[in-house]
Amino acid sequence: MTAPARLIAVESVSKRYVTSSGPVEALHDVSLTVSEGEFCTLIGPSGCGKSTLLGMLGGLVYPESGRILVDARPVTGPDPGRAATVFQDPGLFPWRTVLENVEFGLELAGSAAARRRSIATALLGPLGLKGFAEKYPRELSGGMKQRVAIGRALAIDAKILLMDEPFGALDEQTRVLMGEWLLDIWRRTRKTVIFVTHSLHEALFLSTRIAVMTARPGRIKSVLELPMDYPRSMESPELVALRAKLWGEIREESLRAMQ
Amino acid sequence: MTVLAVRAGLLLVVLGLWETVGRASNPLLAVPPSAVLPALRDLLLLRSYPDLPANVLLTLREIAAAYALAVVAGLACGFALGFHWLIGRAWGPMLAALYAVPAVVWYPSLMLFFGLDAASKIAFGFLLGFFPVTLAVLAGIRQVNPHLVTVARAYGAGSLTVFVRVMVPAMLFTLVGGLRTALALAVVGVIVGEVLGSKRGMGALINHAYGLLRTADYVALVLVTLALVVGSDVVASLVERRARRWNE
Repeated sequence: MTAPARLIAVESVSKRYVTSSGPVEALHDVSLTVSEGEFCTLIGPSGCGKSTLLGMLGGLVYPESGRILVDARPVTGPDPGRAATVFQDPGLFPWRTVLENVEFGLELAGSAAARRRSIATALLGPLGLKGFAEKYPRELSGGMKQRVAIGRALAIDAKILLMDEPFGALDEQTRVLMGEWLLDIWRRTRKTVIFVTHSLHEALFLSTRIAVMTARPGRIKSVLELPMDYPRSMESPELVALRAKLWGEIREESLRAMQ
Repeated sequence: MTVLAVRAGLLLVVLGLWETVGRASNPLLAVPPSAVLPALRDLLLLRSYPDLPANVLLTLREIAAAYALAVVAGLACGFALGFHWLIGRAWGPMLAALYAVPAVVWYPSLMLFFGLDAASKIAFGFLLGFFPVTLAVLAGIRQVNPHLVTVARAYGAGSLTVFVRVMVPAMLFTLVGGLRTALALAVVGVIVGEVLGSKRGMGALINHAYGLLRTADYVALVLVTLALVVGSDVVASLVERRARRWNE
């Protein structure tokens, strides 16, 4: 068996933001590699720079020092050919129907109307949005909106899916169901997912690897491997033990972040 | 149907009151509808004012010119103020202050600069129509959700694509509303300009009839002007509905 190819390399990246009360160091010397097909979760206290790191992978934020390689090439700006981003706010275009929203990335990529229509239509089933093609975002629930946003990301068929707290604004039940749904999608499409979350449950339920980040300035505190099979039972002794360990690490950092 | 019935009822009441009051008042100042109808007929048959078509055409041309200028300048100015931080900060408040001045105070100087003919009317219609377009662009730009711009950029959109695919559709509703208001105000500007000082155009005819105390002709001319204004607004509302459909 050959080892999966390394797809993402974050190499000693640092980033400072200039605010009115002086510079704030968001990330300090962060290094991380992710292999193809992994589901890698970034978890850490608020303001630890997880979203900044994800923004850098997506080319929306530039590192101050260090570099980021995706598919062996440095990231210089948004490149939907390599990575598709899903944000916490679904950010659907209210004047577009569900189908047209899913088609958005394909449209920008210059794909022909018939082709993008057939790709988007084929996605509606797995998205659980059959029969909603012609609906507008305002007619959808929060979970459905986020599924449309994920569909928009899947439609362009990039290898990497960057997800910035995609279920953070949903209620607990919807969140759990969306996690199960995403797991199914991920296992079918074999995308490489980088997933930012606050939720221990989400991280343990979904990830092949969890990177815990420290309080600001964000660094990688530890990386946990999760070799267990899917779907996982949160009551299994392995996960219960892992959960305790993970909580211990995050608790420490969250306490620091609160001070 | 009920709306139409109520509307017709209101119209009948108003006409009835008008008829009663008009008959009881000084016939030089007030004319009942029964006297307006013959005047309107004479007007439309070109008996009282044979040059009516030429004047209507002139007024329409002035409105078209004033509106076109207002739209072009308003869009350019609005986008410049909205997109350019420095220009927006420097001139935005000045523009808002200018808008607060009753526009009619500028009219005497417009007549001095542009003369008594069409140019001063176009300038006045332009002045009235310009502000709503500019302000609608500014309001529209503020309405664009910045997150949608981020999303579009994440999908590889450059500035032009962001403008065409995100800004314009997000602004469209506000923008079209401003364009409609601007048309109504350009019409007002041109006609007020003609009434205040002109030899030709609908406003000039109105002024003429009024000055000679030909009150029935005056009212008939006002009715024709009303038809013009309502007609232009109907056209504008059709465009607005079309834009809304495109928007969806």
